[in-house]
Amino acid sequence: MALKRLGAIVAMAVAVVAGAASAQTKQIVLGYELPLSGDSAHYGEAFRNAAEIGLADFKAAGGLPGADIVIRYEDSKNDAREARNIAQMFADDKSIIGVLGDFSSTVSMAAAEIYAKSGVPQLSQTASHPDFVKISKWQFRNITTQSYEGPFNAEWMREKGHTKVAVVAIQNDWGLSAASSFADAFKAKGGAISSIEYFNPGTRDFRSILTKINRTKPDAIYLCMFYEEGASFLQQRQQLNVAAAVFGASSLYNDQLIALAGPAVDGLMLSSNFVPTNPDPKVQAFVNAYNTKYGAIPNQFAAQAYDAVGIMLTALKKTGVNATRDSLRDALAQTKDYPGITGQTTFDPETREPVKTVVRMMVSNGKFSVVP
Amino acid sequence: MNAPERAGLLAPPVLKGLLAVIVFVVLPGTLLTIGGGYLFQIATTALIFVILAASLNLVTGTTGLLSLGHAGFYGIGAYTAALLSTQLGLPFLVTLPLAGLSAGIIGVLVALPTMRLVSIYFAVATLGIGEMIYVTLLNWTDFTHGPMGIRGIPSIELFGWRASSSLDEYLVVATTAVISLWALSRLTHSYYGNALRAVREDDQCANAMGLNVVRLKIEAFGISCFFAGIAGALLAHTGKFISPDQFRFSESINILAMVVVGGLGSLPGTVIGVLLLIILPEALRGAGDFRMIAVGSIMFLSILLLPKGLLGEASALDLLRRQFGEAWKSVPGSNVGWR
Repeated sequence: MALKRLGAIVAMAVAVVAGAASAQTKQIVLGYELPLSGDSAHYGEAFRNAAEIGLADFKAAGGLPGADIVIRYEDSKNDAREARNIAQMFADDKSIIGVLGDFSSTVSMAAAEIYAKSGVPQLSQTASHPDFVKISKWQFRNITTQSYEGPFNAEWMREKGHTKVAVVAIQNDWGLSAASSFADAFKAKGGAISSIEYFNPGTRDFRSILTKINRTKPDAIYLCMFYEEGASFLQQRQQLNVAAAVFGASSLYNDQLIALAGPAVDGLMLSSNFVPTNPDPKVQAFVNAYNTKYGAIPNQFAAQAYDAVGIMLTALKKTGVNATRDSLRDALAQTKDYPGITGQTTFDPETREPVKTVVRMMVSNGKFSVVP
Repeated sequence: MNAPERAGLLAPPVLKGLLAVIVFVVLPGTLLTIGGGYLFQIATTALIFVILAASLNLVTGTTGLLSLGHAGFYGIGAYTAALLSTQLGLPFLVTLPLAGLSAGIIGVLVALPTMRLVSIYFAVATLGIGEMIYVTLLNWTDFTHGPMGIRGIPSIELFGWRASSSLDEYLVVATTAVISLWALSRLTHSYYGNALRAVREDDQCANAMGLNVVRLKIEAFGISCFFAGIAGALLAHTGKFISPDQFRFSESINILAMVVVGGLGSLPGTVIGVLLLIILPEALRGAGDFRMIAVGSIMFLSILLLPKGLLGEASALDLLRRQFGEAWKSVPGSNVGWR
């Protein structure tokens, strides 16, 4: 009993001391809505890990004097209904001045309607839907849109001498824009598109698509899909002996692709804005920190989240201790040449679209490597 | 028990009034004082799901047809409202009933060939219908915008009054939910509802008693889809953005879980089931990564310990008849009370 009372006294003392401390440093909270359970939990996990490192790095580099920055994570299950609830919760909480997330475009957009109405700056690391940043002046993203990556890959394929290309894309918002921006650019550069095939998310059998596109005899195939489908596609391509060269969007870039499909991946060419083997010291510092803390090599998604947090914190530093939702938004819109690990990033102040640098990669002998 | 004996607090009109006061005054008042747009958001979502679950209850609980495609009809309603308001600029008062009607009509059309199926075969057929609707919404890109979804759906507007705050939206959704619940409750607690129950208990026997079983099933399914469409329209106008992945199979299962946890065939139980499964995941946010495990465990335990649901049909019927059934008066010399 006495022990219990003692505990209560200690707890009270701690609370008083903590209260005194917080009187001197102001607490600034950033909300992060991300999938921590459900089908997409592994992406959310990577985002949270990267964000933790990003925040620690920022604090180690001096942080924001006079303010204690906290990131509050909420699980959205990548579900629009949950995301709306979280968005409203964050918007109500006046201590939250900026929000990161969500993961998929449609979920981010469901939440974005609420952030737009309440005036909270929202920066998604992955929402690539063309309309996402058009919702309001409060939406930002840190992902190369397909309107940049598509033409980049089209140019590359033209350089390699390909004239007739078949496109295989996942039937979702991202896949649609990826396929159309690539096809438009490729045609503009004098190439021909032999066919565009869409498949529903979750498809694992691509044999009918492969047979169909093989009949149109393309020199190359362009893949707009993620590594899960990419692995099945590449394996079945090998089984069916489809000779055309294969190029892909950066979404395929994941070590799991090689782990799942093995030698079938060799020869795949893809673009990416993050390569963990990049000798750049910033990249190596992040990769090492991530590997030490979580025992894994971070993928592109983790890197994008790390940079999104970095961009948000840099904007926060610019606005200072008295940052408000408005001033933070304005600072975000002025982001210019942010030296991130996913390439230099600049936000267009008007459209809020990011401009990022991208590199070319190729898989050879079971390894991703950067090619000129 | 005779009607005149009941007086005071539990007299039917008083109880009805009390419930109305809670839904329209006490709850929004409390939420306003706490100052939570977040709480309004949850309350609005819960009320939309009350309509959804209550409509599914008519088919699955009262008529005994296990439907696994309810989210599809919810989606048809949402897309009808979204397309009509964004493309044609029609007001909420037009899009709401049209959303219900389109879902209802499609419900009847797909019910026509499937109604002769029984039990698990019917369930699998509805599973297929739900997936077909989802795939259509996803792939008919020219019409539904496919996976891009529809954004910029106008907010609710009634005779020039715009529901701009969370409170306004809540009140409109609450009114629609109460009217829907009332309609569904009158339907289930009538001779018609008893006919549906007869179909559930033994459709051959019901047929032998002269009930047109196929017609009853189609009607119940159509009405249920109508209300699912209404719920969809409310989601479209309050959420402002919809996309096909909000109407997937998992959502159908979610709605079914609410009905089963609450108590199959019981409207009050359904409402409790909805409140539990909408509020619980939010209330447990503090549990962090264990949140969904906790929600799952509570669902599991509630079904294990109360297999008939939190408020089973028998007790719910009893409660409803006692409190709301003014028609349920034992007339001396007559054995039939419920009219």
